[in-house]
Amino acid sequence: MMYSKEEIFKAVSTVIDPEVGFNLVELGLIYDGECDSEGNVKVTMTLSTKACPLHQLIIQWVEEAVLRELPNATNAEALVVWEPEWNITMASNEVKDKLEGKM
Amino acid sequence: MVSITREFAPPFKLIAPYFIIGTLFYVLSNFLLFGIDIVQISSSQDLYIISWVHLFLLGFVMMIIFGAMAQLIPVVLEKGHFSIDFYYIVYPLFSLGIGMMAYGFIHSHLILSFGGGIVLIAMFIFSLETFLTLKNVEKFDVVTISVMISNIFLIIGVIVGFVMALTFAGFLGTDVTALLKAHVYMIIGGYVLITIMSFSYVLIPMFGLSHGFSKKPLHVAVGMQSFAVIVVFFSALFDSEFFSKTGYFFSFLSVLIYFYLIYTIDKTRARKQNDMYIISLLIGFIFFVLSMIFGGLYIMVGDETYALLCGWLLFVGFFGFLISGHLYKIVPFLVWYERFSPLVGKEKVPMLGDMVPTKSANFQIYFTTIGIILYSFALFYQNSDLQMAAASFLSIGALFLFFNLMFMIRFK
Repeated sequence: MMYSKEEIFKAVSTVIDPEVGFNLVELGLIYDGECDSEGNVKVTMTLSTKACPLHQLIIQWVEEAVLRELPNATNAEALVVWEPEWNITMASNEVKDKLEGKM
Repeated sequence: MVSITREFAPPFKLIAPYFIIGTLFYVLSNFLLFGIDIVQISSSQDLYIISWVHLFLLGFVMMIIFGAMAQLIPVVLEKGHFSIDFYYIVYPLFSLGIGMMAYGFIHSHLILSFGGGIVLIAMFIFSLETFLTLKNVEKFDVVTISVMISNIFLIIGVIVGFVMALTFAGFLGTDVTALLKAHVYMIIGGYVLITIMSFSYVLIPMFGLSHGFSKKPLHVAVGMQSFAVIVVFFSALFDSEFFSKTGYFFSFLSVLIYFYLIYTIDKTRARKQNDMYIISLLIGFIFFVLSMIFGGLYIMVGDETYALLCGWLLFVGFFGFLISGHLYKIVPFLVWYERFSPLVGKEKVPMLGDMVPTKSANFQIYFTTIGIILYSFALFYQNSDLQMAAASFLSIGALFLFFNLMFMIRFK
């Protein structure tokens, strides 16, 4: 395996949701990341709502971020899943506190 | 490189005219509030008032709703438009028709009938595009069905309105008073309210990150409202007071259930910060509750002043704030998508919230809220001094909205 899950997550964390201002990893939207020996990276992720108007753009940003941040990655694919459905408990504590106005 | 599809975000140059023209109609209608003869006002059927109501509801409310639909239809239906190009035809026709109608009510019923015909054509084109989009939807849920039902009500309501316009002009001899109730209920209860109900279910949780609330209240609210609209429509045609009151009752229940839906969405909202959107919605809902109270009083007591207050608070208080609140979300998104999304990953881009002129938006909210409350008292006491003060506040608030809109559109 060329890149670990942590490295892939770190690469994807450069993608910020412009509506809420947090990156996709701290929002808990990235479920998994794997890379094979040939540099093919697959990111399994979700979105906060099925009706997200940025759906296609976010997928593009994730794939671009992987290729930009991981120089040996040859191909990137972001797969959007709806199970398990995202909810706020999946986000980091910092995100939850900020959204609740505690910080 | 994955190509960006425009399925979920139509070009801003298409939507911008709807928002700019709609907001200009809003400014105009607020300035025209100075001209209402509030001391002599005795009926909601006064021609100046009818003209003003059409200018506000068609020019501002419907114009912005139609523009927003260019972006929101794909969002709520999860399907791209059949042909977004239809929207290029709708707004010029609609603007022309509204202008002719507003003028025609007061000065020439012949012009009114032609204006009504043009508005009818514009709405037909809008609804046709929506139906053709719906044809491509595979999964029909309550939101999809609501879009379908509301558009059917819209078309029927507009046809009834056109018949009324032809009657005004002397081409037909129908009973305008009987048709008025059917016309108003089809458009306001059938199109605007059902659209608000179903889109609230998608948009408010989307912006507030709410999860885990039930869809059932929406089913019940839309079902009851649809039933109420049909009952009131037939009560108008057959002049039945019993059906009429039955319809009002179910409509009222439907609104209560809708409030419950909003409560559950708000309760599960993860994003607790109150931005311009949430504040506008909150004020709008308060005015909606007050409007329902005055509506109830009108049905019980029959005093026309209560009907005027009900309509005033519903149109300007609820619809007005709901729409201005959504402008603070939709416009930054579309501008951002067009101007900044290609720069993501290449340079620092603003967040959507950075594009809203917060201070100026607050002024818009303060001035408009004070203006609406003062105008309500002016209507109640038929006091022209209060009216002038209220219209001043409202006009300044409307100008703030226009400048805020232009600020967001020009954001660089």
